[in-house]
Amino acid sequence: MENFNLNKHISGQFNDELENLRNHVLKMGGLVEQQLADALTAVENTDRELAHQVLTNDYKVNLLEVSIDEECAKIIAKRQPAASDLRLILAITKTVSDLERIGDEAGRIAKVALASFSSAQQDFLTSLNSMGQRVLKMLHNTLDAFVRMDVEAAFKVHKYDQKIDREYEAMTRQLMTYMMEDPRSIPKVMDVLWSSRSLERIGDRCQNICEYVIYFVKGKDVRHITREQIQRDIMDKK
Amino acid sequence: MISIETQFKDVKSLDLANLPEEQTALSINNLSLFYGEKQALQDVTMRIPKNQVTAFIGPSGCGKSTLLRCINRMNDLVDNCRIEGEILLNGLDIYQKSVDVAALRRNIGMVFQRPNPFPKSIYENVVYGLRLQGKNDKRVLDEAVEKALKGAALWNEVKDRLNDSAFGLSGGQQQRLVIARAIAIEPKVMLLDEPTSALDPISTLTVEELISSLKEQYTVVIVTHNMQQAARVSDQTAFMYMGDLIEYSDTNTLFTTPSKKQTEDYITGRYG
Repeated sequence: MENFNLNKHISGQFNDELENLRNHVLKMGGLVEQQLADALTAVENTDRELAHQVLTNDYKVNLLEVSIDEECAKIIAKRQPAASDLRLILAITKTVSDLERIGDEAGRIAKVALASFSSAQQDFLTSLNSMGQRVLKMLHNTLDAFVRMDVEAAFKVHKYDQKIDREYEAMTRQLMTYMMEDPRSIPKVMDVLWSSRSLERIGDRCQNICEYVIYFVKGKDVRHITREQIQRDIMDKK
Repeated sequence: MISIETQFKDVKSLDLANLPEEQTALSINNLSLFYGEKQALQDVTMRIPKNQVTAFIGPSGCGKSTLLRCINRMNDLVDNCRIEGEILLNGLDIYQKSVDVAALRRNIGMVFQRPNPFPKSIYENVVYGLRLQGKNDKRVLDEAVEKALKGAALWNEVKDRLNDSAFGLSGGQQQRLVIARAIAIEPKVMLLDEPTSALDPISTLTVEELISSLKEQYTVVIVTHNMQQAARVSDQTAFMYMGDLIEYSDTNTLFTTPSKKQTEDYITGRYG
């Protein structure tokens, strides 16, 4: 079951349609990754122009989501995909909706760059950025696992999410302390807190995409079960 | 207390390998079939559950029709055809010498690819089998005709012209008439060999609808080239390839997560 060959359908047209679909998802993934990277750069350099660019570019991500969903609907209607083809289509429709939400979160992060921070508050932006880079890496690895439909890589990213969760908790604690010490800073700190929340959510969405990769390859739905269970029931069984 | 049912009702699947005796309609054990030197079926073992629709799929020449024909001994007429193994119907081997083939076929009805009504009236087509059994009482026959035609979802369309020739019916109607003829003698098992391949899409859907309702009373075994049809009408699906039974499992599993690579390739159209 491991080595799927997407190019071996008897119907060449079906091959082309699936290939196009995959390419569009990759394009969307690339775009979302760029949006997140730009949002983080905008925050780091308080680059208002770049932040605006991220906000205006969000429509491109939305358009891709809609057009990919349309392609999927057409394939289902015309080809009645079964087995791995069916799982691929299902995985793709779910993946694009998660990617679209990641795009939205990137927009939310970019908005922080539009607020002005005092020099004392720059520290948060630095720790936000370091968490951001980690999440960006995670998104990159997720897309990579998706391109290659690599279960091992997907499971690795899936596990990595707990680190992001811990970092988010640590950051929340740090920001709460700061708010207690200096209540006047609360509005600004809240902005940062929401951004870190956005990053944490992106991590969750990457995790979702990895679950779809595992579903596609292994044919088992791994949502809402513990990581140990996934390891035991799916990853260890060849 | 509100309880949430997480399992939907119709998702229970049978354990086909260890199907209990009372749920088994047919047991095929180590069946091999040879046409002269050529082996067409290789050691097929499977259990076909009662009151369910079981579909055989596979590429041309994979042995699915041969297997279906074995079930009512249609291969007896083929020269130099040799069979090993056994097929049990209610625990009795249908290949034993003592078995009366005509009696066997009363229990196992068959419908073919092309509708083959007899050149007689609709009424006479349905009662043909009953007349062969020596039943001639008009009241009994009238009742049987109505019952069989209703069972084949044809009654409303033909009730006013039962004495017209069966050739006046459309292809889809003829096929349903042939099914009515088969169920008039109340068999236990219905074998359908590509019953819709000569029909238009609408007639196909009516016949498929009929197949789903037939399983309440009969065990249905269907051979089809149309995979979507197998997915739509059957409860279990068996995938065959070059005389081997490759995979046999419940239809939902087979069409979403087949366990064998060959099955995967075939149902996704990567075969060849």
